[in-house]
Amino acid sequence: MAVKVLIVEDNPVARSFLCRVVRESFSDTLTITEAGDLESARRQINLTGGAQGLHGVDPFRLVLVDLELPDGNGMELLAELSQYPATKIVTTLYSDDDHLFPALQRGADGYLLKEDRFEVLVEELQKIVRGQPPLSPAIARRLLNHFRDSQRGELPDSGFSRPAELMTSRPVPIEKTPDHERLTPRENEVLTYLSKGFTIKEIANLMGIKWFTVNDHIKSIYKKLNVSSRAEAAVLATKQGLV
Amino acid sequence: MSIARDAGLTPASALASDSAATHEATSGFANTGIDSSLLTSSFDSDSRGLVAGRWLGWRRRALVVLALLGCVGLFTLLRTLSASPHIDAGWRTNANGQMVLDSAGDSTLRAHIGETLVGVVLPDGRVLPPDVLLARRSPRWVIDDLQRSQQLANGAAYSAALRDGSVHLKLAESATPVEVRTLTRGYAGLGSVFWLMTALALVFYLTGAVVVLVEPDERNLLFGLTALAQTTHLLLIGLDTLPGFDFPARLAHLDLWLRVSSDVITGAASVHALSVYPRRLPFQGLIAVTSWAVGIGFIVTVAFNPIPRLWWWVQGLQLSYFAVGWLLLVWSYRLTPHPMAIVMRRLSLAVLGILLLLTLTVALSQGNADVQRFAAGPGSLIWYVFQASALMLVPFLSRSQQVMREFTLLAGISAVATSLDLLFVAVMPMSQFTSHTLALFLALGLYAGARQWMLNLLMGSNMLTTERMFEGLYRTAREIETTGGDHTEHFARLLGELFEPLELGHTTRSSPGARVLGDGSTMMVPLPRLPGVPDELQPRGSLVLRFARRGRRMFTREDARLTDRVLEQMVRAVAFDRAVEQGRNEERARIAQDLHDDIGARLLTLMYKAQSPEMEDYVRHTLQDLKTLTRGLAASSHLLSHASAEWKADIAQRLDAAHCELDWSFEFDRDINLSVVQWSALTRMLRELINNVIVHAHAARVTVSAHYESGRFTLQVSDDGAGRRPDTWAHGLGLGGIRKRVKLLGGEVHWRENGPRGIRCDIRVPELGERA
Repeated sequence: MAVKVLIVEDNPVARSFLCRVVRESFSDTLTITEAGDLESARRQINLTGGAQGLHGVDPFRLVLVDLELPDGNGMELLAELSQYPATKIVTTLYSDDDHLFPALQRGADGYLLKEDRFEVLVEELQKIVRGQPPLSPAIARRLLNHFRDSQRGELPDSGFSRPAELMTSRPVPIEKTPDHERLTPRENEVLTYLSKGFTIKEIANLMGIKWFTVNDHIKSIYKKLNVSSRAEAAVLATKQGLV
Repeated sequence: MSIARDAGLTPASALASDSAATHEATSGFANTGIDSSLLTSSFDSDSRGLVAGRWLGWRRRALVVLALLGCVGLFTLLRTLSASPHIDAGWRTNANGQMVLDSAGDSTLRAHIGETLVGVVLPDGRVLPPDVLLARRSPRWVIDDLQRSQQLANGAAYSAALRDGSVHLKLAESATPVEVRTLTRGYAGLGSVFWLMTALALVFYLTGAVVVLVEPDERNLLFGLTALAQTTHLLLIGLDTLPGFDFPARLAHLDLWLRVSSDVITGAASVHALSVYPRRLPFQGLIAVTSWAVGIGFIVTVAFNPIPRLWWWVQGLQLSYFAVGWLLLVWSYRLTPHPMAIVMRRLSLAVLGILLLLTLTVALSQGNADVQRFAAGPGSLIWYVFQASALMLVPFLSRSQQVMREFTLLAGISAVATSLDLLFVAVMPMSQFTSHTLALFLALGLYAGARQWMLNLLMGSNMLTTERMFEGLYRTAREIETTGGDHTEHFARLLGELFEPLELGHTTRSSPGARVLGDGSTMMVPLPRLPGVPDELQPRGSLVLRFARRGRRMFTREDARLTDRVLEQMVRAVAFDRAVEQGRNEERARIAQDLHDDIGARLLTLMYKAQSPEMEDYVRHTLQDLKTLTRGLAASSHLLSHASAEWKADIAQRLDAAHCELDWSFEFDRDINLSVVQWSALTRMLRELINNVIVHAHAARVTVSAHYESGRFTLQVSDDGAGRRPDTWAHGLGLGGIRKRVKLLGGEVHWRENGPRGIRCDIRVPELGERA
């Protein structure tokens, strides 16, 4: 069965370029659906069973979303798709944390910078799908602040004295940790190095771990960010009587 | 009334120059020289007067009792006066200076209207001429002893003549004396001036009572005593102004003694009070005891034996008391520069001067009966009113009761003018008109000068000009805007410049507005809340300023109001600055957004459609430059550490894609805020250099090392690529751009061959300052 991909991008030239990138990246048989704005993107998603509820039998497996769209911001779509089982990637010109961080909070699994070279884009896309999302120093800094703040708010004495088995490299299953907003000391360390501009290889050397372990940490951080922001939103919604 | 007790404050004499002084004063907040107990005591005693609740209790009851006592006393006096016998007739003076009967209530007398009075016939047959009777002025101001006893005797004789119920008047036109029945005077017959003086006396009495009751201590009791003496004076002056010839006989004997006692008590109490306030002087007990011993001794002597040359003695004693008081104030100021000492010193000098002038006038006019009568009558009256009002002013000096101040000034100037007028007439052969005019002009000039002098006294002679104040305000607002952390220091500096206090400290106490404490020696200014400053950085508590203008000036309520307003303006200026800054940022962000969205999208399309890889790269660089530009626009500043992390990550990624190794080292001794210009210049320089390495040199290894040390920035980028002989390079867009940006930062750039292979680029920026 062909893998379904959705590309939401208003610029037709960029759209076909991204199509090429996607086709180059994967060896599977692909069915690429293109959408020029949020509305048609929503339509396409509804055809496959809708953003919430049951996603039908054959949902999109990969969604590329541009942030600047004629009828709104790609961030809206990301928020709607927070329960959707696809890998969601933001494609944008904006590389600054002010734009990317909210996208990551809304459940994006990674981001691609549209001005990058074709080969670079292919490589990055493959990495994201494999679970090695990029993390720039600025975003790492934002993440550190984000988790530090929520930690400070929740627990006055930080969670650094947690049991040893929870400090392993594997991401901790969310159901088992009531406080999903906390980073493990290792994750914290990885983030700190990233914020100082170290590459993943360098961090692996510095921490004495394998580079894919570093990647696992990054992935876990991504998840925690998304979960924590979803939890925040839920709390907010309850407070406002929306739920 | 609250006066800070002497706490052995040592003025910070080390504070030499203004700026150094303020700095020193502000930096030492934690252990400032201000005695906290003193602050507390003055704060508390001040609030005692202000908090109405504390007034309930014994103070109010005591005040009511005292007021009732005063009223009862006054009523008794009024009753006595209204019951005294009185000839019901009106007189006028004709061209020859003789008394002519103008109106009469008595029917016998009415027949004689228009006739000239020769005198009053006494039971023993003597005739008292009207001018003797009219010289009813206080015996206190009669210089000649003989004359004084004569006057007292005449008064007694006249009173005796009236006591029988009828009196014989000798009129020029009638052969036999006319017998007139006397009537009781009644309340209506007391005259308007008398009522005025009585009211004034009552006000004085109550003021004295209030001051004593607020805080019944040594100083305030002394004030109460002087107020009582002045009350007596005013009442006696009121008695002088009763219309007609009559004077209550019983009071006539007391009059002299009462006046002398009041004068002496005022003097002695002043000396005593000045030995305690503004600060307790050394040998204070000795001074007080001596002054009271002299005064009481004198009063007792006067009461029992007539002293020859009494007037001279009293004047001499009074003058010496004031002179001693002045000396005490001079001494006190040397010991502690309390601004109150200066103000009171000047006030006492004015009192001394005016008394001296009046004494001189009366003494010199001894031969001239008319002048002397006037000098001793209205002249002394004005003097007493001045003395009383000056005394009343003292407790309220720092409260700056403007009406009171002006009144005292006016009374003082009137006393001076009258004295001068009389002096001219008595000493120089001048006509009345000339002397009046001259005295008036002199008085006016004096008033204009003295008013300014008095205001300067309180406001400070060289108060900061408005211009400098604005400058200070603006600068402080900017400082608050640009620097973070604690803003207390900025406020302290502003207030320091405004008032030049000897001491400037900080206290955790707070109040709704600026307040003057310690009788104008101290001002407490609560620090305002600044807009847009997080709660934990808000300045807290109050600043305490002591001894304005290095102790030469006192704080007034106007100062407190001015300070409040200055701080309010300050907060507004900061808020305005914030708003402007925010608007600017929003505008920049909007421009950045537009550039990014429109031009960026077009460049992207252009890049995808590029015909050749070179073209594609060229457009990609343009796009990256645009992004750098818009990011620079959107953010106002970048920390060096953050920027270096991003450079590192960016370069590492790009070199990784080009399969090139990176050696990166970036050291800085402190983190600075790069301006947008610096950030974008460095970012683009680095990108261009790395780009050259990737595109042209095809190097396998690149070393980037940067140092930032005490403002000096150096950057080296070296590779092991194919590039050689940099002097032969054509300086296209890339290299030219680097040169331009290095020059923009004020530095220099050199390319040279790097050992056997590759190129090394050196960039040196001697001064990469913050916000350069």
